[in-house]
Amino acid sequence: MALSLRSAVRKTWQTLSSIKTGVVLIILVVIFSAAGTVILQRPMTDPDEMARAYSPAMLRFLDATGLTDVFHTRWFVALMILVSLSIIAASVERFPNAWRFFARPYKSPDDNFRRVLPTQAQIPIDEEEQGLGAAERAFKHLHLKTERIVRPSSFSLFSERNRISEMAVYIVHASLLLIFFGGIVDALYGWRGFLMLNPGKASNQIELKTGATRTLPFSIRCDGAGEETYTDGTPKKYWSKLAVVDEGRDISSKEIVVNDPLVYQGVRFYQASYGRTGKIDQLILNATPAHGINGTPQEIKLGLYDTAALDPDTKVQLVEFIPDYTVQDGHVYARSNDVVNPAVHLVVTSAKTNQTVNFWLPEIPGIAENQSSPYNFDPKDLKTGVYTGLEVSHEPGQWAVWAGVVLMAIGLTFVFYVVHMRFWVITVQDASGKLSLWIGGTANRNRDAFEVKFKHIVEQIRKELKPVTAAKKTAELVPGTTTAGR
Amino acid sequence: MSRANAEQHPATGMTLIVMVGLSIAFLLFIAFLNVVKSGNILSEANLLYAALVFYAGAGALYLGFGVTGTESYIKFASVATWAGLIANTGAVAHRWYEAGHPPFASLYEMLLSFVWTLAALTLIAEKRYGVKVIGTVTMPVAIVGVVLMQLLRSEVRPLVPALQSTWLHVHVTLAMLAYAACALSFALAMMFLIQDKMKTETFLAATSIFTVGVYTAVLTRFERWGGFNVVAWDFDNKQEVFISRGVRLFVTIPDLGWLMLVVFAAVAAPLALYIVSLLKKKDSFLAMANRAVFISILLQSLALVFFLLRARDGRYPSLDAEGLYPTSLAASPFILSALVGGIFANLLYLLLLWRRNDLERLLPDADNLDRITYKTICIAFPLLTLMIAAGAYWANRAWGSYWNWDPKETWAAITWLVYAGYLHMRITRGWRGRRAAYFAILGFAVVMFTFFGVTYLLPGLHAYA
Repeated sequence: MALSLRSAVRKTWQTLSSIKTGVVLIILVVIFSAAGTVILQRPMTDPDEMARAYSPAMLRFLDATGLTDVFHTRWFVALMILVSLSIIAASVERFPNAWRFFARPYKSPDDNFRRVLPTQAQIPIDEEEQGLGAAERAFKHLHLKTERIVRPSSFSLFSERNRISEMAVYIVHASLLLIFFGGIVDALYGWRGFLMLNPGKASNQIELKTGATRTLPFSIRCDGAGEETYTDGTPKKYWSKLAVVDEGRDISSKEIVVNDPLVYQGVRFYQASYGRTGKIDQLILNATPAHGINGTPQEIKLGLYDTAALDPDTKVQLVEFIPDYTVQDGHVYARSNDVVNPAVHLVVTSAKTNQTVNFWLPEIPGIAENQSSPYNFDPKDLKTGVYTGLEVSHEPGQWAVWAGVVLMAIGLTFVFYVVHMRFWVITVQDASGKLSLWIGGTANRNRDAFEVKFKHIVEQIRKELKPVTAAKKTAELVPGTTTAGR
Repeated sequence: MSRANAEQHPATGMTLIVMVGLSIAFLLFIAFLNVVKSGNILSEANLLYAALVFYAGAGALYLGFGVTGTESYIKFASVATWAGLIANTGAVAHRWYEAGHPPFASLYEMLLSFVWTLAALTLIAEKRYGVKVIGTVTMPVAIVGVVLMQLLRSEVRPLVPALQSTWLHVHVTLAMLAYAACALSFALAMMFLIQDKMKTETFLAATSIFTVGVYTAVLTRFERWGGFNVVAWDFDNKQEVFISRGVRLFVTIPDLGWLMLVVFAAVAAPLALYIVSLLKKKDSFLAMANRAVFISILLQSLALVFFLLRARDGRYPSLDAEGLYPTSLAASPFILSALVGGIFANLLYLLLLWRRNDLERLLPDADNLDRITYKTICIAFPLLTLMIAAGAYWANRAWGSYWNWDPKETWAAITWLVYAGYLHMRITRGWRGRRAAYFAILGFAVVMFTFFGVTYLLPGLHAYA
């Protein structure tokens, strides 16, 4: 039993670490992600639109399978976890070998190795030290460091460059895991929400995407907000002046714009929207006495529920502001919160006669009593309130994501552009006792470019050898060096 | 051999006439558009027009080499590409200067940069890697790009707040470079398949399937009684007419649907004949299929001309609203590029059919092409990675989240995964040759979908481009 369990674990591990599993998982991720972009997704699309796009039965099916919110369903998360496990398993499975290769480089080539190495050359020499010395000088000339390797039976040279390149693929995989880790942390501990502020107001209540409310340990106060437009009317800039208030003190302030958020204690505030609240800020009126009562026109300024004295006996109060009014059954209703068709309700009270008059701007027939008012009012200017909409997010995992991105950039650079190349030089003796210098080399990628470099090195060694051997060898027929390439 | 030559000549003459006729009609049409657009001579539009003429010249020379086998054409084609690149650089510089930001803010500007990158990479591939005829594939793409640009809205539009970021420029520059590298790897993979002695019939089948796919997609706009639906165009605002958010208003061009149906039959014929030849194992059907390709090119050109004439300007009724609505070619960039793309694909097939020997002689050998394809993807993949990273960083600053699963993001990730799959198969499984080439082709198809398809077919945050 125990054995079969162990073999089952072993089997699972093997399956998980195989490249085939990896590719199948990649294909699954691709298919489901593609589905998530084609099928309308839940939180972004409003329910009416969903109902219009799909039949009820279809919608039930899509909802049940989670296809209407692919990227947040359990099975998609499970799939991502499987991908992570597969990366880990594949890396762990292959890492020890690579590490051995990395930590204990193969420096002294034996017969077998020399036979099978595809890129190699031989140059006849007279004696060992002269050959190795020339090779050393040649490598130095080409800015390659060499190492003398002493073994009981042989004496050789080893040179290499960019050994780190062997580890590059693990760097990339680790960076991918780091990015996943950041994403998971954010999915678990991060939150996103919205905060709407009017200039002058402060708040610490964030309305989360989930519908809940989150209370921050500090508040944000808006000290002003506005927009700028290009001459053709397209928006150019939205800005909000924000201040952080912690324990009653102003900690910091910043003018944020789109693309430049405010960050405090890991919470980020982004400029997301800007608009009119549909509430009145200030109304400026010209009041003129009606019915020949003495007095001159005067300008008054009213906020909502403000009262202004027109003369010792008469007062006016702004009791109602309707941004987009409509009249039905003798009542005034607001149709929307957009200031497109505003109406103002003023109440004029006169102390002497104890009479109140409902004055409407504009005059709404059947409701307004403008004719009996002791004053006439002309609107001069209407200032409505503005709000600034802030996206608020807390993503503690994003640093892992950025670190992962940087690491991946480094890793990919190594994977694609840094070549680990190794060279070995050793003296060999053939059956007839003739000495020659055996030179071998290998690179882990970009082999054609490496072969050119290898030939160059061989040429250089031959050049270094020449001054000594040239005189002796001129009479002899020099057997050509062999460079067998892949 | 002499018999084969004798058979080739009559058809060769015909293609040349058709091609020259097509290009003349085409260039006149563009010239007309330009004159209407601006009275200014050294304007961006005219620089772009010059680029188009040079690219078209280069493309014609590459094809001309294909038809006549004259190698010196390649040299002239390369010179024409240089000239086109210079004009294109002028257009980019002009644009940059006028707009005050690098030209990446709209689909028009991105195409401008894309074509520039493609031409530059073509020359690099030619000079550095000796892939002399790469222009045969990339120049048609460049031409289609420039033609599309003529139709898209090109006025400098101020940047909306979300686009005012250096990261946007980094993101888009990387995207352009990556996509151009992907396009190059696609062209190289195709050439590899030629050098790998893939049968000419297989290319016939691939071309036919592609064209049938194109016309199937086009025929989704078929309307009852032979009508053909195109999007209505609002000339004042230079954009499509929307009924409600995201829902476009379609107008019906009468009778054009019938023509498309006929052309569909014509492009399906080679495929059908190919299948028959496979089943009956008779080569005579193949010869017929090749003739059918020729006929289908003629009919496709006819469809293109009629589409140009009827959808360029005119007012048509709509099924969804009362009255007549205007439309413009700018409203149907995809139909237009699909029609042009279909013709080019078939012309390239004819080039292969008639000049395979010359092509094989001029192209680097299969091993080399395989290696260069891989190298191109080695350049494309890190660029894709950085492009996604820069995009995520920008999104984090603009929208408060580095990953929103927005369709464009998701498709960029899918592209990345496809190429990651390619690299894994190649490095650990030793995939070479055919399979790797198919993978490279698949990768480019996904890139194209991410670039074009997502913008127009799927809703999302990337509404700017």
